[in-house]
Amino acid sequence: MNAERLKIFAAKNGIFLALIVLITVFSILRPNFFTFANGQSILLQAAELGLIAIPAAFLIMSGTIDLSVGSVASAAAITGGLMMSASGSTLLGFGVAVATGIVAGALNGFLVAYLRLNSFVVTLGALSVWGGLALLLSDGRTIPRAELPEAFRSIGTLKVGPIPIQIIALIAVIALGWYVLNHTTFGKSVKAIGGNERAARLMGVNVQRSRFLLFVATGAFAALAGLFLSAKVQSANPNIGSGLELEVLTVVLLGGVAFEGGVGRISGVVAGLLFFRVLRAGLVFMQASPFLQTILVGATLIIAVALDSSIQRMIRSSWAKLGKRAAGRDPDDDGERAETTERG
Amino acid sequence: MVDSTYRLEYSGVTVDFGATRALEDITFSIAPGEIVGLLGHNGAGKSTLFNVTTGVIGASSGAFSIDGTRIEKRLTPREAAQHGVTVIHQEPALAPNMSVLENLFLARTAPRGAERRARAHRALEAVGAEIPLEIPVEALGLGERQLVDIARGMLSGEMKVLLLDEPTAALGRAETDALHDLIRGFAERGIAVVYVSHRLPDIMEVCTRIVVLRGGRLVVDGPASDFTPAKLADALVPDLRSLDFTHVTPGAEVVSVDTPGGAVRARAGEVVGLFGMAGGEQFEIAARLAGAARTPQSFALQGEPVRFTSPGHAIRRGVFFVPPDRDTEGLIASETALDNVMLPWHSSGPGRGWWVSPRSGTEIYERARAALDIRGPSADAEVSQFSGGNRQKHLLARWLYPAQPTLLILAQPTQGVDVGAKLDIVEATRAAAARGAAVLVASSESDEIASMCDRAYTVLGDRLVPVPRSSTFNEDLLTSLLAIAEPTRA
Repeated sequence: MNAERLKIFAAKNGIFLALIVLITVFSILRPNFFTFANGQSILLQAAELGLIAIPAAFLIMSGTIDLSVGSVASAAAITGGLMMSASGSTLLGFGVAVATGIVAGALNGFLVAYLRLNSFVVTLGALSVWGGLALLLSDGRTIPRAELPEAFRSIGTLKVGPIPIQIIALIAVIALGWYVLNHTTFGKSVKAIGGNERAARLMGVNVQRSRFLLFVATGAFAALAGLFLSAKVQSANPNIGSGLELEVLTVVLLGGVAFEGGVGRISGVVAGLLFFRVLRAGLVFMQASPFLQTILVGATLIIAVALDSSIQRMIRSSWAKLGKRAAGRDPDDDGERAETTERG
Repeated sequence: MVDSTYRLEYSGVTVDFGATRALEDITFSIAPGEIVGLLGHNGAGKSTLFNVTTGVIGASSGAFSIDGTRIEKRLTPREAAQHGVTVIHQEPALAPNMSVLENLFLARTAPRGAERRARAHRALEAVGAEIPLEIPVEALGLGERQLVDIARGMLSGEMKVLLLDEPTAALGRAETDALHDLIRGFAERGIAVVYVSHRLPDIMEVCTRIVVLRGGRLVVDGPASDFTPAKLADALVPDLRSLDFTHVTPGAEVVSVDTPGGAVRARAGEVVGLFGMAGGEQFEIAARLAGAARTPQSFALQGEPVRFTSPGHAIRRGVFFVPPDRDTEGLIASETALDNVMLPWHSSGPGRGWWVSPRSGTEIYERARAALDIRGPSADAEVSQFSGGNRQKHLLARWLYPAQPTLLILAQPTQGVDVGAKLDIVEATRAAAARGAAVLVASSESDEIASMCDRAYTVLGDRLVPVPRSSTFNEDLLTSLLAIAEPTRA
């Protein structure tokens, strides 16, 4: 493996190394950090974020973004919570909440994919719309524990064997994301759209429908995350998802997904997710101020963006150098030069 | 030594890009008042020569002089402008959101207030443009923007050399005529003009001398009056192994489309050219047939009326399209070579698109690779790692081998690739036709059409002329284009 290939490898896998370093540092600073219980608690904390980060990673790979996920989660928690409080049926609550997420995603998808509006602006608007709706429907109050059905509250502590249901859901979503991205035409189309939308369209990819479906999926998963969060805290809060969009973006970019689209891996996103949650858990262990933690979330996002663009640039320039070298070895042809060489 | 009776004098200019020699020992001089038509195919070195003259790139060896001032080192674009070199591109390099006045003095030392406006007025007057100074450039037509660009060149000092790069490619007849009058006016005032264009009629009309580059070398230099379209065509054609075109037995009619100039038809087994100007109607026709343009086109496909509103619909009916620009429209740089070829076909593979393994399609890919003699890294490397010709082959491989096309539409399929790759592409395309596809080749390069087509149509505006294959096919194409361009002069 030569230097350029090593650079590419390092750039693509840096997050895994960073994760190991982070865990090591916290384990040394606080000996009780590296324990099974703490590991499980970190995974438990990571579940809702991961539930959104996986579909959001698909969106970013396709060259768009959804900033409304946090308030969609809140709105779904409230519509679901209100339905459960009125009907007493957990199933009905889930249905209404997920429907809320699907409607929100479909609206975003329609505006971005079919009307070709800028996804950043549309979903920033939607962030305000759904956040406001959550407050309006709930009248700004939290739906208390007493109004939620027992079955729903038990989800917060439900375990399958020794493993909490949230962790199982997280693993299921990761597996689904991995399968779809790497082993279906749809997943390959998503990356193709992000890599070169025009070329993807000319290859017969239905760009608009693919984008629309990604937004719908992201909305639905955001709704699920809102429900899981509510079950965990045993109440439905109209601000429950606020700030999630920044965390999702941080996780996805830390995971090596190119902000401009076309490049990304599920394993990277998982590493980004774990890095982010380990960092936050570590700060709690270090008894850092919660305000400081908020600052660090923002700073991590900025660092993630900076790293993302420099990593993508580095990978590209290393590929280019390798390509040039290959061309030097085999001076077969090149765009700028025509008619100068005869084939041997 | 330097003879200062020349405005522009190249002496042995050579440019190497790595192992590639883009220009070799270019030596010629241009006297004041000459209008030199610079011709050559894509990759012949025209742009490189322009870029050397304007300081965008430096020469590896050799030098040039402007008005007797010998220039050995690479100029900055600003220094080039100060030497009196002005270059006008097809798309003028202006800031669209800024006003005409601001653009005229952009990155130039400008006088203040009234003096500034007066000079701007004089410059615009000199190029015959009546444009308010406050209007934003984006509100202007292309012709007017070019005039602003030329006026801008005049403001940087005494204009000595005017370089025009495809200035009329997107202009209408009236604007072209106005530009040509302006160029003649400049020449009369002693400015040396170098004019690059794919439009042979324009070159023949305005130029006093013609220089042809081929493969980075100067191959022809003579007064324009010595040239006929046929002679020019001869000078432009590179050596291509002559293919056997005698065994074509066309089958049933595959495509029949009505264009403003008449019907374009192609039968199974035929390779039919659509020849026209650079950026001309032939590319629009090609894209519309394949559902790749904004407005779809109704036509008869195997006798059945169709109208494709998206490329996906066309692909499902076996109508495949290779777009003119492989890198912006054809390939996805961040994807692997294999996926770039197989992406449209995974859904028809054994897993129906629901189980695509990294090895899916490998067999077809390797077959395509052997058939097109693709060279470079392995199938799992990003396609951007391949060289230009091999990237183009990937684009063709996508539509030639995984499925048999009914109608294959190629837009300049051999543009910017070397002779070896060109032959592989031509042979693979003809083989696909021999297997029963109808092939349409849209191009603005007559030799590209001549090297692969059984017959052709020349398209310009609302006119269409069929051109049969003959021993003088290439000349016939150029002559026909000249002929249908002619009536508009009246």
